[in-house]
Order: sequence, then structure tokens, then C-alpha cells
Amino acid sequence: MNKRSALFQKIVICFSFLLLLAQEVNAQTLTKKQQDSAFLLHPGQERLRKIKKSIAKTFVDFVGNNVSLYGALDFSKQNINDNAITAPINYLYNNVNSNTYNTGFSGGFRVDGIYKEKHRYALSFGLNRIVAGSNYKNIHNLSPFIEDFTYFKADNVFTTISIAAHYKKLLPVNDMNKYKFYAVLGPSFDYKISKISDAQLINGAGNRAFINLDLGAEFDNKGYYILYGHYKLGNYISSSTVPVQMNRFEIGMSIKTKDLF
Amino acid sequence: MKTLFTVLLAAISLTIFSCNKETSTTQTNVMNNLLTNKNWYLDYSITEGLTSTTPVVFKTYVGQSTYFITYLKNGVTKDSDGITGTYTVELINSQSQIHMQLKTINGNPFEVIYNIISVGESNMVLSKVISGPATKLYFTTK
Repeated sequence: MNKRSALFQKIVICFSFLLLLAQEVNAQTLTKKQQDSAFLLHPGQERLRKIKKSIAKTFVDFVGNNVSLYGALDFSKQNINDNAITAPINYLYNNVNSNTYNTGFSGGFRVDGIYKEKHRYALSFGLNRIVAGSNYKNIHNLSPFIEDFTYFKADNVFTTISIAAHYKKLLPVNDMNKYKFYAVLGPSFDYKISKISDAQLINGAGNRAFINLDLGAEFDNKGYYILYGHYKLGNYISSSTVPVQMNRFEIGMSIKTKDLF
Repeated sequence: MKTLFTVLLAAISLTIFSCNKETSTTQTNVMNNLLTNKNWYLDYSITEGLTSTTPVVFKTYVGQSTYFITYLKNGVTKDSDGITGTYTVELINSQSQIHMQLKTINGNPFEVIYNIISVGESNMVLSKVISGPATKLYFTTK
């Protein structure tokens, strides 16, 4: 019995030794492809490394960057001036006008950091589904045959991608080591990626890009999450026969990606 | 790096400022969509007088709904008098028009051109110019 046990012990030890050896050999053995690759130049990787190095050098003053994911509710209304439309088209005013804020949503990621250890900032990149109420500024009529109407019907549901750069000013409210309140100001830019309807394109009225001025407040709960409310006042970036002014309230929350994943 | 940045900036600028995509058919497409697959009932027919301040009601169908016309999506039109034919919406010298190639019940062909004064989802005003004072036709979908 003892002999058997000793033999079994020896076999286990030998097996373990071989396994260890095999693993070590495996770790040192490279495939033919890997061996070839090790001697080759990788211009793509080199270029990427250089770009990364260059970016790191350029943005050396931007420190303490935290990447967060955010989600928000968007309340939007657009003010529409259709005075320059010449197409002989009418839309009944009561059917298209809804002077209210309608709810959409947005999501994306943002980078919060400090510039030169003094100025706090947030850069965000997002996707927005905008559902806007429409306020038509002009009412036309062809009395007594056609009641109040507009010449133009704006798209009120569309999707944009957006980029924003916000300056954050820490407010001296409460215990600033625990809870932080910020006032936020900065520009943002939206670009429509959804299809624009023919009705919106008429007489050169269609536009895809608009620029906003953002103003808001943020509450940082010990770095766990940020609750925020932003007001965005936007206009088309290029001239249009139908100037549209976008008014949006965004209420959202962001959580650090390292806490999520 | 600088070249890459310049190219990227140029591409973004081009995308932003080349965003209007109105084509020559945009306006006619919108009007066609508003026009088709409805019965347009003639409510009023007004022929202008010799001076613009004294229009004369030449004929009226107020409250009777005796005449209607339909424009189908496939380009066919027919009316309550049994006249059928084809139509196209066209934009000629900034004037939107409906061109109709029609046939009477007896098979005699004739052409009618209407200027579109205004077209909507439930209201339409057309102007028929032959010679002399114009006749304005006021339609609704009821």
C-alpha cells in the first residue's frame, strides 16, 4: 500500500513538473507568424503611437480626466419663422402648431477634467433623439376660404449627434469636499443624422447643423455620479429661409465608466 | 499630424456647409403628396371682375358638393362629370401648375392648366387662366 502511495506521489510530481515545463515552453514558443511579425516594421502601429504621444504632449495641461457615460431627458421646442417661404403650400395652423416642450432623450459619454489645475471642464459626445414642440411665429390666412395656416412644416422628430465643451465653475455651496455644485457654460454643436423630409427642405429651408449656447448647473455626489440640468439655446449654423430657434432643457445623470465596468 | 488635422477640419467643414439637399423635384413632390388620393370638392368658383377690387361671383357651388375631382398617385385624374385623363404637377418659371391631359366622355382630348395658388392637406385654391379674367376654384376635402 505504501509502495503504491509512493509511486502515485512520484507520478503526480513528475506530471506537475512536465506540465510546468510545457507551460514554460509554450510561453516562449512563438508561432511562425508571430516570429515573422516581430522582425517586421508596423507603420500603422508606429503612427498610432506617434499620434498618441503627440496628443499627450499637446494636452499636457488637461489632467484628471474621468470618462463617464450619461443619459438624459430632453425637453425641446422650436420657434419657426416661415416668412420667406414662397411655395404655395398651406398647413393648418392648429394641426402643426404645438407651443409646448416635448420629450426626447439623449445618451453618450463625457470627459471631465481640469485644465492647468485650475479650470474645470467637461467635453461630451452624444446621440440625441429630439422630439420638439413647434411654435410657428407667423399665421397666414385666406379668409374666408382657408382658416389660419403656415407655409411650412418643420420636422419635429429627428436624431442628432452632438459635441459640447463646457466650462465648469465650482460654486461655494455646502461642504465642497462631499458635494460639489457647478455652474456650467459653453457651446455645443448638433448635426442632424436622420433623414430630412421634403417638406422641411422646401425653398432651401433645410439645415442639418446647429450651434447652441449651453447654460446649466451640475451636482457632483462625492464623485459617484453627477446630476445635471442644462438649457440649450440653438440656431442653424448656416443661413436658412426659415430660421429656427431651438430651445432645449436637458436633465440627466452621468456615472464614471470605471464604476460601471 | 498638422496635415491630418487640416484634412479632418476640411472634411468636417465640407459636411456642415454642404447640407442643403433641396432638388428640383422637392416642391412638386410635397405638392403631389398633398394633392393625391383625395376627393377634392369644389366649394366656390370665383371669376375676377374687370377690376381687381370688384370680383364677380360667376358661379358658385356653396353647400352643394356637386362637383369633385380626384388625383391618383399613379398620375390619373377623374372627376364627377366622368372626365378622365392624366396629370402632372410642374414648376414653370416659379409658378406651380397642374397640367391635365383629359378626354371627354365622347373621347375628345383636351388640355387644362391650373395655377396652384395654395395646396394643403384639406384645402386647395387653383386658378384657371384661359383668356380674360381668371377663375379661382376653391376646393376642400370635406
